Amino acid sequence: MEEMNFNYNSLRARNARRGKVFGKPSMLFVMTLVLIVSAIGGVTLIVMRMAVGWICISLAVIVLMIIYWTKKELITVPVNERRGINGLLSNDVLGAMPRNPHVKDLPAVIAKTNSGKFLHVRYGISKQLLEEVASMLPPEVGPIFQTAKKIQEGTNSEEIHGAILATSILANYPNSEMLLKQMRLEMVDILDGIVWFNYLNGLVRNMNIHRHTGGIGRDLSFGYIPTLQRFGQNISVVGKGAMRTQLHLSEHKEILAKMTEIFSNNGRQNVALVGPDGSGRATIVNAFAEYLMDADSKLPERLKYRQIFRLDAGAILSAGAERGQTEALVMRILGEAYAAKNIIIWLENAELFFEDGTGSVDISNVLLPVLEGGRMRMILTMDRQRFLEISAKKPALANALNKIMVTPANEEETMKVMQDQVPVLEYSHKVSYTIWALKEAYRLSERYVHDLEMPGRALALLDASGAYANQYKLVTAESVQKAIEKTAGVKMQQTATADDKARLLNMEDLIHTRMIDQVQAVKTVSDALRRSAAGVRNEKRPIGTFLFLGPTGVGKTELAKAVSEVYFEGEKNIVRVDLNEFVRAEDVARLIADGAEDSMSLTAQVSKQPFAVVLLDEIEKAHPQVLTTLLQMLDEGILRDSKGREISFRDTIVIATSNAGAEKIREYVNNGVSLDSVKDDFMNWLMSTEMFKPEFLNRFDEVCLFKPLSPADCLAVLDLLIAGVNKTLAPQKIGVVLNQDAKELLVQRGYDPQLGARPMKRIVQKTVENIVAKAMLAGQAGSGMTITVTREMIESELGQ
Amino acid sequence: MFMVDLLQWWYFRGWGVFFSGLKTKLGDTADLFSIGDMFRTLFKPFRQISAGASGSEALDAKMAQFFDRLISRIVGMFARLTIILAGTVVLILELIFGTILMILWPVVPLLPVCGIVLMIMGVTF
Repeated sequence: MEEMNFNYNSLRARNARRGKVFGKPSMLFVMTLVLIVSAIGGVTLIVMRMAVGWICISLAVIVLMIIYWTKKELITVPVNERRGINGLLSNDVLGAMPRNPHVKDLPAVIAKTNSGKFLHVRYGISKQLLEEVASMLPPEVGPIFQTAKKIQEGTNSEEIHGAILATSILANYPNSEMLLKQMRLEMVDILDGIVWFNYLNGLVRNMNIHRHTGGIGRDLSFGYIPTLQRFGQNISVVGKGAMRTQLHLSEHKEILAKMTEIFSNNGRQNVALVGPDGSGRATIVNAFAEYLMDADSKLPERLKYRQIFRLDAGAILSAGAERGQTEALVMRILGEAYAAKNIIIWLENAELFFEDGTGSVDISNVLLPVLEGGRMRMILTMDRQRFLEISAKKPALANALNKIMVTPANEEETMKVMQDQVPVLEYSHKVSYTIWALKEAYRLSERYVHDLEMPGRALALLDASGAYANQYKLVTAESVQKAIEKTAGVKMQQTATADDKARLLNMEDLIHTRMIDQVQAVKTVSDALRRSAAGVRNEKRPIGTFLFLGPTGVGKTELAKAVSEVYFEGEKNIVRVDLNEFVRAEDVARLIADGAEDSMSLTAQVSKQPFAVVLLDEIEKAHPQVLTTLLQMLDEGILRDSKGREISFRDTIVIATSNAGAEKIREYVNNGVSLDSVKDDFMNWLMSTEMFKPEFLNRFDEVCLFKPLSPADCLAVLDLLIAGVNKTLAPQKIGVVLNQDAKELLVQRGYDPQLGARPMKRIVQKTVENIVAKAMLAGQAGSGMTITVTREMIESELGQ
Repeated sequence: MFMVDLLQWWYFRGWGVFFSGLKTKLGDTADLFSIGDMFRTLFKPFRQISAGASGSEALDAKMAQFFDRLISRIVGMFARLTIILAGTVVLILELIFGTILMILWPVVPLLPVCGIVLMIMGVTF
């Protein structure tokens, strides 16, 4: 316990306080100035035969000693583990610590440290918050230091810095878990933050360490490469002070070792890194380039100082106007590289050299012999899909390459890569990223960015978010949401406002303003959507999946539109697919086609509009293969498109409609049976008919049965239709009203038990709309007037 | 206390810090002049002139290449020897300077005292 007592007068504490004073750049500048002036002045005075000059020289010597002491010791007081807490506290903590510290003093100390500021900016652990928590803790600092020591050991930290002390204060607070939950954090997040800070701190320290990269005579044994320098870029040249490329993924480290092994052995000197875009192929090559240039690495001599040149496909293609010229140019470049003896050629997007197309040319007849020969060192990076396509056409190419697969990163690895890249992004955008921005970038990019894989897709979104920082220059989760809205064209939903809650609570009333009857179906859908909005739903599935069954014209599609309007605030947020166009097994390809090939495919539409009602009309007509394809969408909320990209349906409401069993439903209703009471029987009957497989029907959250409309229902539908006509005429200030007997006549003529309300629309068009049009053209209806339609007018229009 | 801590550091840790700094500096200089690599590749052709020849040419062409390469090796040797020489001179100078400072290190804190004595004695040039 004794080692947990803070000693204000310990040597480290004294030095830390001195470092705080002398280590300031302004102070160092003044001291250097004093040193120079005293030295020059002293010598001048002595030369001028004035002995007082020796005092100036003495002063210069003392100042010189202090400057050296400050730079080598006081600025970074070294850790001394044998001295207990006094040997472990970081320099900035020691420098700010009062003589007899109490817990309530610690927040102010933490706020002055770099790590404390780091935790404040990125995790929202502010001085005020720590002060509030500290005020509820016993005043003794011993327990805080004890916990801090455990955290320091647990996070492999070199010293106990401000972030560790802050975490220790929180850990000693009994309700810390609840407090952190309110901030959408867990203790493990804060501990991860400490590791993140340590890592960044280490990077900054390493930047000042001189790298050994071979010196001025390194390349004397290697040839001249004028053509390669013109058409390639040397990625082995690292700028002074540049941060080293870090490989956080264990798989990437293994790949690096494998590449070293391949290039060290006598086999074919090529490596093909095959993986999806964004999986980190270029990062691996960059890390390999730096590794080769590291004089202190334990590389075989035949690999040391080999430089990687990335060939610029565009420049090569534009330089060679004709195919023969391009091939000759490539041969010259490769010849130069081979003769130089220290070059590894990197073909980034190697597919550009193996197939003809826009911005690419097939020069495999030149490259293939070189690759098969295996003497020229080459790295090829290629998209997995393109590699498979090219390999199918050119099997010799696949055989000539040492293929290494690069797979996408998982969440933990992606977070580490993002944490690594944050300083670079912060430097370029002049902003600070919070931990919530990183988490949101992972979550949203996983759902809505389809052209890249992890970690590239999360990084791309994080980069884009830099432009949407708030007024305090902080990139938050909201910044990331704005970025995804702008970059992916995805409209983010906000469901937490009071208006939204009211809308959800009154969903049935809102839907019934545009829909007649079907009370049970509307209630079922509304209940399911309310559960979902309240968070009582599986995030890995769509918001809701519904199967609407019933005769034609009873409101199935109308309910889908109403749901879209109420839930997604707009009838336009609907992706409609008529499955009667997908009756063959081959139609599956059209359903999941890549957006570039077919912008109207289901996957292409949902990737552009992920917050929508997906309306699958006439599902009973689709081929069983099509229905099988849709199972994953209903089950997991994702569907793979033809390129293998996962398209998220997790923010959609999937509604499938079908007329299957319409007669049976009609029969139930005619017999006066409530549809709700026979729903199970109906479902069993439906499965027995083998129209749908049980595993398909069971994937839906709810199956809603729609009853046929009665003449009374049609009268209400008619009112809605007339309201629609009035809405259309509103800009012209003309109104239409129908007499009761006119309405009854229209229902009498328009009602069809087989087709539901559908004929009503046609008859209103044929009669009411025609009457209004004629009245307007004849000048009998003008602005501010109301046209009253009588039974006689309808009869006349119907030709009676 | 301030001066005591400074002197304590100067005669113990400070001396070691200076020594390891000198070692790092010498290592950096050796790397800058690629001295190890220069010795290892002393007789290699300079810039690989004629290295790309296939070897299937006629005898006179082969002879020409041989002499090209020989000249290239001689040029390379002289270039490398020059760098080795320059590097060695710099290293030796650094070593001498560093060693002098290492030896003078314990004397430095005494210089202010000497200065005061010299002033009292009225020594000037």
